[in-house]
Amino acid sequence: MSEMNNKFVFVKSDERESEHIAAPKYSYWRSVFKQFLSKKSTIAILIIASIVILLSIIDPMLSGYNGISHPNINNDSMKFIGPCFKYLFGTDSYGDNLWNVVWIGARNSLGIAGLTTLITITLGVTVGSIWGYSKSMDKWMIEIYNIIANVPFTLIVFVMMYILGRGFWQLIFAMSVTSWLGTAYFIRTQVMIIRDREYNLASRCLGTGKWTIVKNNILPYLISIIVTSISRDLPSYISLEVFLAWLGIGVGESTPSLGKTISANRIFMTNSGYLFWIPVAVSAIITVSLYVAGQTLADAADPRTHR
Amino acid sequence: MKKYVWGRVVRAILSAFIVTVIAMVMIYTLIPRHLIFKTDPTYQKLGGKADDRERYKNTAYERLGYIYFDEQVDMCKAYAADSVEACNVNGSSQANEVAEKYEADGWTVKQYKAGGYYAYKDVPIFKIVANFFSNLIEIDHPWRVNDSSNPDLKRRIYFGTDYNGVPALMGEGTKHKYLIYFDGSFPFIHQNVISLNLGKSYPSYAYTDISKVISSGQGTEKSTMQKFETGSKTKSAVIQHSCTYKATKNLDKLDKNKFTDNYATCDTTKKDPSMIATSMTFGVLALLLAYCIAIPAGMLMASHKGKAADHIGTVWINFMIAVPSLAFIFFGRQVFYLLGFPTSFPSLGAHNIKSYIPAIVILALMNTGSLMLWTRRYMLDQSNADYVKFARAKGLSQSEIFKKHILRNAVIPIVHDLPASIILTITGAVLTETVFAIPGTGKLLPDAINEHNNAMIVALTILYTSLSIFSVLIGDLLMTVVDPRIKLTDDGGAN
Repeated sequence: MSEMNNKFVFVKSDERESEHIAAPKYSYWRSVFKQFLSKKSTIAILIIASIVILLSIIDPMLSGYNGISHPNINNDSMKFIGPCFKYLFGTDSYGDNLWNVVWIGARNSLGIAGLTTLITITLGVTVGSIWGYSKSMDKWMIEIYNIIANVPFTLIVFVMMYILGRGFWQLIFAMSVTSWLGTAYFIRTQVMIIRDREYNLASRCLGTGKWTIVKNNILPYLISIIVTSISRDLPSYISLEVFLAWLGIGVGESTPSLGKTISANRIFMTNSGYLFWIPVAVSAIITVSLYVAGQTLADAADPRTHR
Repeated sequence: MKKYVWGRVVRAILSAFIVTVIAMVMIYTLIPRHLIFKTDPTYQKLGGKADDRERYKNTAYERLGYIYFDEQVDMCKAYAADSVEACNVNGSSQANEVAEKYEADGWTVKQYKAGGYYAYKDVPIFKIVANFFSNLIEIDHPWRVNDSSNPDLKRRIYFGTDYNGVPALMGEGTKHKYLIYFDGSFPFIHQNVISLNLGKSYPSYAYTDISKVISSGQGTEKSTMQKFETGSKTKSAVIQHSCTYKATKNLDKLDKNKFTDNYATCDTTKKDPSMIATSMTFGVLALLLAYCIAIPAGMLMASHKGKAADHIGTVWINFMIAVPSLAFIFFGRQVFYLLGFPTSFPSLGAHNIKSYIPAIVILALMNTGSLMLWTRRYMLDQSNADYVKFARAKGLSQSEIFKKHILRNAVIPIVHDLPASIILTITGAVLTETVFAIPGTGKLLPDAINEHNNAMIVALTILYTSLSIFSVLIGDLLMTVVDPRIKLTDDGGAN
C-alpha cells in the first residue's frame, strides 16, 4: 500500500486546465495538403500541370521568340520540318520552331486566363461577401444581377471586343467585365447559407467576434468554393480565348497566343497536320490538367472531407 | 401569380431594353463610323472618284440613320422653293445663300470637286436609339401605304379568298395583301399584321431587313407550277402569301400578267432552309440526343455511386467540361471523316442526311458533360431524402424507388433549363457551325463584328437578350407546372 501511495502525486485543481478540451491536433492547411496528395493520379496531374506552366514561363525567356520577327522567313529549308529530335514539335510556315511558338502562345493564353480569373475572383469574392452580409445592398444588387446574368456571356464578350478593339488587355476586360457578377452572386448565396448555420449562431452566442467567425468559421468553407470557381474559370477562359481567336476576334496582331496559333495553322490541317494538332493538344492538356488539379484541391480544401 | 408574371415580363422587357440601349450607345459613339466601309467592295472601287465616293458614303450613312444628308437640290427645295432652278446652278447667289442658311442651322456644308453643295448633320444618339425602338414593332394597317402614283387607292380590311380559294383576312392600303391566311405548312395559320423590324443590314446583305436575313430561305430559287390571280399558270418561285405593295409607277408587264392589283413584291421560295431553321434543326436534334444520352448516364452514375460506372462517367464529365470545344469539335470531325462522313456541310448539301449526323453528334456530346453532372447531383441529393428512406423501409425495390420516386423529383431542375436550351438553339452553335461551314445563325455575330455591321450587332443583341431572358421566365413557369409545390411568389395563398 505504502509503495502505491508513493507512486501517485496529488494534483491541484486547476481552473485553466479544466477548460482545456483534449482534441487531436488539427491544422487546416496540413489536412488540405495531406488530403490533396493522397491520390497518385492527382500527383501525376499536378506534375503535368506544373511542367506545362513552367515550360510556358521558361521557354519564351530562353528562346527569345516574340512572335513578331521571323528570322527564317526566307529560308525554305527551315519550313515545314516534321517533328524530330532537334525540333520536337517541328517548324511552321514561317520557319519558326513550333515548340517556341506554342510555349509563348501558352504563356499569353495562361496570362489572359490567369489575370481574368484573378480579377473576377477578387472582385467577385469581395463584392459577394459584402453582398451576402448586407441586406440593403442585396435589394439593388439582385436587380443589377438579373439584368446582366440573363444576357448570353458570349454576346457580351463579342460586343465588348467589337467596341474596344482587339488586344491583350481588351480581351481581359471583355471577359471579366460582367463575369465577376456571377462569381459574386455565387459567393453571396454561400455566405448567406453559412452565416446563418447553427454553429455560427452558437459561436455568436458564446461571444466570438465577427472577424473571428469570418476567419475561422466561414473562410474555410469559402476557400473550397473559391478554388472550385477558379478551377472552372481558368480552363474556360483559355477555351474562350481559343474560340475567339478562331473567329478572328481575339488578341491583336502583335500578341501570339494558343488560339491564334491554332487558328493560323488550320490551313495546314491536311498537309502538315502536326502544325494544327500539337497546339490543339497542348491547349487540351493545359485545360484538363488545371481543371482536374483544381477540382481535387477544392475537394481537399473542404473541411468536411478532413478526418 | 398573375401579378408576379406581369412583373417579371415588365422587368424582362426593361432589362432587354437597358442592355440594348447600352450596346447601341457604345457602338454608335465609340466606334469610328467609317469602318463600315472597310469590307464594302463598292466603296473600295470608288477610290479614285472622290465626289462619287463622298456621295456613296453619305447616302449609306443616311440610309442607316447616322446622319441627315442633303445635296444641293434638296437644299434648294428646303430654303428656296420658289427659285429652285436658279438655285440649282452651281455658284449662283441663291445657292450660296442657301448654304449659309444650312450652316447657320448647324449643318456641315461642303462642296463637291465638280461643284455643287452638299450638307450633312449627325443624328443625335438618343434619336438613333428612339428611332430603333419606335420602329421595332410594325403593325400593318390600311393607311400604311402612301403612293403618289396611285391616288385612288382603296383603304379597307376585308374577308376574301386567296389565289387558291382558301379564306383569308386581306387588306387594301396595307403593306401586306394577306393579313391572316392558312396554308399547308406548320403552324398552318399565319399572320402578316405584326412584324419585327430589326433594321437594315450593312455592308453584308446590303440594305436587306435583318429579320429577313435570319428567317428567309437560302440558296437558289425553287420554282413550282403556280396559279396566279389573273388565271395565268406559270412556273415561279414567288410566295404569293408574302406579297407586299408595289407603287403603280414601278409595276411592269410581268407583274400585270400575274397580279390584278398592286401587291406584286413577293418573297421567293429557296432551295435551302433559312438560317434559323438550319440552326434550330441542328440544335434541337442535338439537344434531344444529349438528353437521351446524359439522363440515363447520370442516373446510372448515381445508382452506382463510387463504383466503376461512376468513375468512368466522372472522367468523361471532367474531360468534356475542361477540354476546349474547338479541340473536341476537330477531334470529332476527324473521327467522322474516317467513318466516311463529309467534313463540311455544303459538300453534300442540306438535303443529305449525312451532312447532319457529324455536327449533331458532336454538339450533343458537348452538351452531355454538364447535363450528366447535374443529373447525377440531383439524383444523389434526392436519394438521401427522408421519403426515399421511407420507401426503402416499405420494401420497394431499388429500381422502383429510382424510377418512380427519385427521378420524378430530380427531373424538376432539369425541366427548368429545357425551354432556355430549346429557344437558344436559335442563336446557333458558333464554333460547330463555323467548323462545318453550316449556314446557320451562329456565324452571324462574329461575321458582323469582322465586317463592322453595326445594325446587325444591335439587332442580334436585342434578339438574343430578349430570347434568353424570356426563356428563363418560361422555364420558371414550366417548373411550377411540373411541380405544383413550387411557388414563385411568397404569398403562400392560392393563386
